Amino acid sequence: MLVAHATWHGGALCLWAERTDSPEQIEPGVHPYATNDFAGTSYEPLVRDAGRIELTMLLPGTADRPSPSPELGAEPHDAEDLHSWRVPALVLGQFPAMTLLRSAEEYADVVPGTDLRFLALIADEALDHVEKGLVLPALLRDDGTLTARWQPVVYNVPRFRELAQAMPAACRAAKGGQNASVVLREALYGLTDTAVRRAVPHPLLPPRKGRVPDLLPLAERWVAALTGPNAEVDRELGDDPDELAAELDAWAAPARLPAGPLRVSFRLVEPPAEVEEPDDQWQVEFALQGTDDPSLFVSAASVWAGEARAIADAEETLLTGLGRALRLFPELGPALNQPAPRAAEMDAAGAFRFLREAAPLLSAAGFGVLLPQWAGRARLGMKLTTRATGESSPGAAAASGFGMADLVNFRWDLAIGGESIAEEELAELARLKAPLVRLRGQWVELDERQLAAALDFMRQRRSGTMTAAEAMQAAMHPGVEALPLTEVDADGALGDLLSGEADRRLTPLTTPDGIEARLRPYQERGLAWLSFMNELGLGALLADDMGLGKTLAILSLLVHERLTEADPGPTLAVLPMSLVGNWQREAARFTPKLRVYVHHGTGRHRDDDLVQAVAQADLVLTTYGTATRDADMLAQVEWGRVVCDEAQALKNSGTRQARAVRGIPARSRVALTGTPVENHLTELWSIMEFANPGLLGPRAEFRARYAVPIEAHGDEDAAAALKRATGPFILRRLKTDKNIISDLPDKQEIKVYCNLTTEQASLYQATVEDMLARIAESEGTQRRGLVLATMAKLKQVCNHPAHLLKDGSRLPDRSGKLERLEEICAEILEQGEKALVFTQYAEFGSMLQPYLMSRLDRPVLWLHGGTSKRQRDDLVQRFQTGDEPAVFLLSLKAAGTGLTLTAANHVIHVDRWWNPAVEDQATDRAFRIGQTKNVQVRKFICVGTLEERIDEMIERKKALAESVVGTGEDWLTELSVAELRDVIRLAPEAVSD
Amino acid sequence: MARREFFEHSPPIRVEGGIKARNRRGSIGAEWWSRRFIDVLESIAHPGRLQRGRTYARQGQVLSLTVEAYEVTAKVQGSRPQPYEVAIGIDAIDDPDWTRIEAALADRAVFRARLLAGEMPPEIEEVFAEHGCPLFPESWDRLQVMCSCPDWGDPCKHAAAALYVLAEAFDDDPFLILAWNGRTKDQLLAGLRRAVPAAPDPLYVEDRPLTADGFWAPATGLARLRERPPTPPATPGLLLRLLDPPPINVRRKNLTDVLSPAYDALTGDAPTDDHYHHHDHHHDHHHDDDA
Repeated sequence: MLVAHATWHGGALCLWAERTDSPEQIEPGVHPYATNDFAGTSYEPLVRDAGRIELTMLLPGTADRPSPSPELGAEPHDAEDLHSWRVPALVLGQFPAMTLLRSAEEYADVVPGTDLRFLALIADEALDHVEKGLVLPALLRDDGTLTARWQPVVYNVPRFRELAQAMPAACRAAKGGQNASVVLREALYGLTDTAVRRAVPHPLLPPRKGRVPDLLPLAERWVAALTGPNAEVDRELGDDPDELAAELDAWAAPARLPAGPLRVSFRLVEPPAEVEEPDDQWQVEFALQGTDDPSLFVSAASVWAGEARAIADAEETLLTGLGRALRLFPELGPALNQPAPRAAEMDAAGAFRFLREAAPLLSAAGFGVLLPQWAGRARLGMKLTTRATGESSPGAAAASGFGMADLVNFRWDLAIGGESIAEEELAELARLKAPLVRLRGQWVELDERQLAAALDFMRQRRSGTMTAAEAMQAAMHPGVEALPLTEVDADGALGDLLSGEADRRLTPLTTPDGIEARLRPYQERGLAWLSFMNELGLGALLADDMGLGKTLAILSLLVHERLTEADPGPTLAVLPMSLVGNWQREAARFTPKLRVYVHHGTGRHRDDDLVQAVAQADLVLTTYGTATRDADMLAQVEWGRVVCDEAQALKNSGTRQARAVRGIPARSRVALTGTPVENHLTELWSIMEFANPGLLGPRAEFRARYAVPIEAHGDEDAAAALKRATGPFILRRLKTDKNIISDLPDKQEIKVYCNLTTEQASLYQATVEDMLARIAESEGTQRRGLVLATMAKLKQVCNHPAHLLKDGSRLPDRSGKLERLEEICAEILEQGEKALVFTQYAEFGSMLQPYLMSRLDRPVLWLHGGTSKRQRDDLVQRFQTGDEPAVFLLSLKAAGTGLTLTAANHVIHVDRWWNPAVEDQATDRAFRIGQTKNVQVRKFICVGTLEERIDEMIERKKALAESVVGTGEDWLTELSVAELRDVIRLAPEAVSD
Repeated sequence: MARREFFEHSPPIRVEGGIKARNRRGSIGAEWWSRRFIDVLESIAHPGRLQRGRTYARQGQVLSLTVEAYEVTAKVQGSRPQPYEVAIGIDAIDDPDWTRIEAALADRAVFRARLLAGEMPPEIEEVFAEHGCPLFPESWDRLQVMCSCPDWGDPCKHAAAALYVLAEAFDDDPFLILAWNGRTKDQLLAGLRRAVPAAPDPLYVEDRPLTADGFWAPATGLARLRERPPTPPATPGLLLRLLDPPPINVRRKNLTDVLSPAYDALTGDAPTDDHYHHHDHHHDHHHDDDA
């Protein structure tokens, strides 16, 4: 495995990697694990033309050996210090560098280090500047070489400084350590230039017509070098680069943002409500506002009245700022002719121009802009109203009492801000010809294009009858840009379906026979919804919060359809590998009658055998990897349903995996995810593309229409339109919903079943054999000690091979438990929540902490026996009060009692103490007075190992007497070798890969 | 004494269109700075002679007045047909002193703001005094007054008249005081701008030293850094409008127009990979998210 690292050095991205294999003969002073050989990896095509370089880097470790980075996850060394190492690296060209940074997270075969991922973030930052157009071309002179470069206009200085402060040391460790902000600036500038060159066609100037003069002017050669791959400007005798550079500098100067603590801000003030003819009574008021603290707000009037004495140079700042703004907002001119300008007066047309033109400009140029609530909101749009008729088009009926062929009456209206407008009102608005009009006391922006679209709309047929299916399509269509669909008012079942609340409308399906559990009310509603979608032939996305039982929902659906349908066909569930064990166990526990076939591993059935195996099964479990490899084979089966769990795995819609899974034909499709899909719109598109192909249109269109306006600009109209378009297909219940929370216990216990990797399994097996032999030959205290040591060793193997071996070897891809832990933590953090993770092994915690931190990109705190009282208090304080989601890793012994950690509403026990009292005590760190949320407690168990067996024994004994098992592991020492063998033996289902 | 009286008897030739002191009664000088100048004058010069100069000034005998660095020159109509030439000199402030004064003024932005607003902040005098360069002459010795008249009086009434007119000119334009002391308003403001303690580079951040502890981990979780608040959409071409077109033409088109299509290409949701593919032939993966 390679962990890729990057630093910005000498104006280029320098790339190197750590490898895990043992070093060969290495020159002294050369980093023994570093390599610049990416042959055979996804990086290879990108680094083919890269130059070679040797960096001298300060890296942590001992004088003999640099420590591995946390992605490799070895135990941190106590006596670490920085030492200088020579590191072979590659210097990437600007375009491959950009591509690498943009896609590093997607390559599965090379793990990007935090330094590389940080630079990827800077690439995003550069793109952000470029997409906003906040770039300026410059002429750079360096040792007689002239280059044409695009530079960012850094519009958010506090963010830049935050990034500089957050830069991992690894990014700046070359050349004996460089200043972070200098490295950041070089990287941001370099990547910005690249991003512009990627976007702008080359050449910018059309080819000259006619004779080309021998000597092109410097400015023309410079413009030619501004696009395309070559930034160097050809030099000619008689060039005066200083003059051109000075002119460009002077030109660009006003774009540079003032960085002081105060900025000038502009506030659009509407005419007073009582004014009859408000047309010319608009004002833009001036003020000073804190750059970092917008609540510090001093009006220009106060400044001139001398009421801002506490603010140093208030007048000066105001005047200078207004002078700067004049260029962007020429209407300011007359106001500035007064001795003490406090506002610019204007008419409605001026105010409209301010809204549409000056305000975005000013805001992009770093000025504060305060607009009235309605600005950009109260738009003219279409409103669709439908009313159920109770009739259905001939020959259609559905079991749920609602069909897509049901007829509804519809009416289209014109609306602004939720209010319908009559034809006469529109005519009046058209007559006024003012871009800002007051309609029923509410200001509305109305440009000519919108008005024309509205008049056109009014001339069309606007009411009648249509089918529910047609209504649904109409409701999901976002309309045209000038006249978007802003509201849908539908009643009856269609209304529920459109509002995404069909589950509340449908009659809940009571727990079907054959399910060894009692479904909670919200689960019964969920089952009714899944079944309803199934009947309508619509793909469903079940996006309930984690812990609400999405697996059980699918299992229930399978049982339900087997009770109501003649031949529902088999369901294929595509899962991340880490979930296979869990599905198996849940199916066995809740729906023991369902026949489950796991299509996975080297011994899996192929071709005809596969078809036969599937014919014998109700539920086929497979992994994303296997589904991709066996896509053709799987496509031969007539699936009743394809389910994707953790469907965010499909997020990269273009990947082979996503295409393969989408390509498996099925009567119906269900996607499961616990991630808040609304935060990841591209993911949402990909998931919907699986569940309901084509529904959201082509990806590029989806991005332009929804993703960019919502994610980049916070456009609420677009968010509402997206919700309308996807609402019918998504069921997302939050555990905090009051309808759900009343169904849930305050403390919910969930067992998380994990598999072993092959490596873990063989280590486990070896340990079992070795130890059983020794135990058989021992007695008394020695035997007791051996038994306990065996338990410990086996639990360590279940945690991670490196935990048992203690050899500082790498962590990723070697433990099913770790993989699942990472996934669950990521999901918790994604929901903005906090988790406590308990382990009984301090050495495992020390391995986990840096690893999880680098993988989760969130704070991971670590409290163990060696933590001082003061550090403890600091950690607890940080965890309890911090506003960022975080993981608190705790050693069970050091932190099992005493602490109050109610900021967490998740508790995870990674390994088991086999003592419910101790575990409950630890759990109670979160579940105690002050806890306002329901707490989910997860206990990790490796299937087919002693963990599962002891867990079962405890569950059994629990029913008899709590006290029997309240004694930890000691009782195990009393077991005979045969009994012991039975407890610790490795069952074949343990392994998953 | 006798000499003085000899000339006294010949009355001055009356002029039309001379610079008439407006103030018929009381003191010339309405603003604090000209008042201050007159006070200094009256405290250091002979009252009687100043009195006669004031009368002269009110009659409009001063034909012209020019303020230059460290020297004021005036033409004053006396009893002879040829107007007398008056020169009033003060000690020059040398460059190092000016640099120090400018730095001191730049330290407090209020000075620059008031000067920008056309006011003369009273405290400015203290700043000059602190640097041993009084804005107004402290004693008669510091003024070098010369007049082409035969009067040996110190000052003669022509010079005194010129001084009064000068004081009144200060009323109208306080910056003349500074100009007389060697800096026009623009020069001073430019000097102040230069002297403003170079604003620290906002994009420079002091580093924490590199340590082995937390070497690989960012100080803030990367996930948090990825959270960027939404910003209102900005049309890329807007920056070109923010800036005045530069004096740079390419093929007879202004640079702004030349660059405009480049900015247009940046518009839209994201740069496509299409152009990029021309430069990079190794791109064999299609990353849907690479947008």
